Amino acid sequence: MRGVSAAILPDDDAVSLLDMEASIEHLGRATPQGVDVMLVVVEPYYRALETASRIAPLAKQLGIPRLLTIANKVRDGEDSRVIREFCRSHDLDLALEIPFDEAVREADRQGRALIDVSPDAITVQKVRELAGALS
Amino acid sequence: MRIATAGKGGAGKTTLAATLARVLAQGGRQVWAIDGDPNPNLGVALGIPRETLENAPRVPRNIAEESHDADGVSHMDLKQPLAELQRQYAITGPDGVHLMFVTGLDHAGEG
Repeated sequence: MRGVSAAILPDDDAVSLLDMEASIEHLGRATPQGVDVMLVVVEPYYRALETASRIAPLAKQLGIPRLLTIANKVRDGEDSRVIREFCRSHDLDLALEIPFDEAVREADRQGRALIDVSPDAITVQKVRELAGALS
Repeated sequence: MRIATAGKGGAGKTTLAATLARVLAQGGRQVWAIDGDPNPNLGVALGIPRETLENAPRVPRNIAEESHDADGVSHMDLKQPLAELQRQYAITGPDGVHLMFVTGLDHAGEG
């Protein structure tokens, strides 16, 4: 099975970045053979973690070679511990932990890009790390 | 490089996808952002003005057709060159990030 999303992704030196529909029921068809890396964003609460644990095996089945988990909105050591433990027990590669960031909420409130509102926000710094690791 | 972001709604995937797109573009990469969410908000997160987004074209559902190979596996093939689609349907935002809306496309071959 090969989704159109994959067909529409440029395949050259360019980077293409597909922001997928949230529901995982969509994953089978929507995606993404042809995707090199899938970033699964999780929050430290049960439903988000559970979603990630369901996405991961589907992504593997679809043959996506690299699957990275990104923990977002991590408020404290306990959040961090919960996510690490979850990733360990579900065999998920935890690539990045991003602390809870008020700047994200402020950018949302303003309806603007985070990187424009707060170019030095911790989230932007962490994404720069991620970009470095990806390329 | 082809990157996809996934996760439960509200987890911040769109903010992270948009920020990653901008960071990569600032680093000199050509970036094609594709919003596959039926409630698209990647454009706003990229910093594209609302007026531009409201008038942005949607990639039509019939740009691809489904075929089945000998093993019965389905493939989606574009009916026109990708570069042509990009010219027609992409808008360009800050740092030169290109954005296309493809919501609903993946059901193109269904019923």
